[in-house]
Amino acid sequence: MASIDEIKKVIVDFATNTKKSKFYFKDMEKAVQKVIPDAKSREIKKAATALINEGTLVYFSTGSSTMYGLKGRGISLETEETGKVE
Amino acid sequence: MSAEGQEKLWETKKYDDVRIYTDEEIWNYTDEDVANYKCKHDIPLLEQLEEGPWPSFVSDIKQEAVHRHKLAEQAPDKLLIPADVCDDLLGQVELSYVEKETHWKHGGIVGVFGYGGGVIGRYSDQQEKFPGIAHFHTLRVNQPASKFYKTDYLRALCDIWEYRGSGLTNMHGSTGDTVLLGTFTEQLEPMFFDLTHDLGVDLGGSGSNLRTPSCCVGKARCEFACYDTQDICYELTMYYQDELHRPAFPYKFKFKFDGCPNCCVASIARSDMSYIGTWKDDIRIDQEAVRAYVAGELKPNAGAFGNRDWGKFDIQKEVIDLCPAKCMEWDGKELKINNKECVRCMHCINVMPRALRIGTDTGCSILFGAKAPILEGAQMSTLVIPFIRVEKPYDEIKAIIERVWDWWMEEGKNRERVGELIQRKGIQEFLKVVGVPAIPQHAKEPRSNPYIFWSEGEVPGGWQRDIKEFRKRHPR
Repeated sequence: MASIDEIKKVIVDFATNTKKSKFYFKDMEKAVQKVIPDAKSREIKKAATALINEGTLVYFSTGSSTMYGLKGRGISLETEETGKVE
Repeated sequence: MSAEGQEKLWETKKYDDVRIYTDEEIWNYTDEDVANYKCKHDIPLLEQLEEGPWPSFVSDIKQEAVHRHKLAEQAPDKLLIPADVCDDLLGQVELSYVEKETHWKHGGIVGVFGYGGGVIGRYSDQQEKFPGIAHFHTLRVNQPASKFYKTDYLRALCDIWEYRGSGLTNMHGSTGDTVLLGTFTEQLEPMFFDLTHDLGVDLGGSGSNLRTPSCCVGKARCEFACYDTQDICYELTMYYQDELHRPAFPYKFKFKFDGCPNCCVASIARSDMSYIGTWKDDIRIDQEAVRAYVAGELKPNAGAFGNRDWGKFDIQKEVIDLCPAKCMEWDGKELKINNKECVRCMHCINVMPRALRIGTDTGCSILFGAKAPILEGAQMSTLVIPFIRVEKPYDEIKAIIERVWDWWMEEGKNRERVGELIQRKGIQEFLKVVGVPAIPQHAKEPRSNPYIFWSEGEVPGGWQRDIKEFRKRHPR
């Protein structure tokens, strides 16, 4: 069984290297299970929640559905609030 | 819904303990002030909406605009976002009516720490023109079960929202939450702190979360309630806090609890998992009361619709002939019901509540898959579990919920509701997931609609199929 730290590392690698700056939980889950096949959904969720709490990942919500993203990659609070992209 | 450990907060807490505004500040405007109000933007199209016979959201927003302008003069330090938020809101809505397109940017990364729901980001794309609504984030606050409020709580909530937000609310959103409309990003965390610490309530669900569960008035006031809707709503809200606040589902998921088939919270149309109260035994009949209705001694429908003369109550026309299952009979003295054929439409019970009552062997039916149209069309929930006991600690129900969630998280595509997944994979597979055998009630039209496909292993003796023999009898 993979440790939370191992799963976190795979999530951060995926969030850093995936083409899209925002991704669904399921995309992240598939990426983790590709590297760690026995990782369970609940473990992946725990690891993602830990990364959110550490400030490494951020949620992106449209109100109806939610995505995850690496903090600082793509949209930031500043660009979101001002509408100005650097 | 109270935050954990704060369930009894408002039994002792009073509005005065947390109030922000004085009475003079709250009651600071007159009807005349509202009538004389001139918005800082021209809003002719919106003002047309006020001319209709119905209540107008434009009038409500104007009233709040007047209140905030007066507050800004009386106590400017008691408004933490612009006083003219309502003016700018009206101005932008007017612009959208003129241009026929929205100027809202919807969604984003704003939220409160650790929560993946409860805050919906919203910004104006006309921030220079309408600075008061440059940010206009929505907060969803978990409502108390059955929406029972104390006025102390509501007054405190309104004060805090006036102070930190626009003062505009939506009571309630269609999910059931108290919806607070419009604040700036820097007010989100303090608002969340005040809600959880001073008011003892939590944010509700949004995004790919379990949404805020909601329930009908239930046993608190309704004699038709077949189970304690409030208790299970509260229990599942608290038990599934992680699912409510930390999104990992393919899309939204809603529970709604109706105590009886009258479906007052419309769970059958609006929730992925609908709990609808029902009973297994017979409708209880008080024949004396039936005769009293027929004689005109009791008012049908408990006096509802009584503002018009509908003529003498006619049990044959108004009850017997309207029974969809045709399972009732009235011989002039006695009412008979063939309970085996009853489909729980509730009509007879609603019309003659003193004479007819729900059975005593009660529980609920569980249905899955209702949704509004987004990917596919709108659909109602499908009956999966005809009857289940609803008893603490609800372990049997929790086990079903978790089996369905596991399957949906495994098989569901991004943004696919569980009802759409059931359509895509078939009810047969879903029944296996839930762990119930197929029964006639699962089929809408058992002889014309092959809703359930049996596999050979499921049929005693199985079968052998020779396609060549079949084609001899049924050529292509």
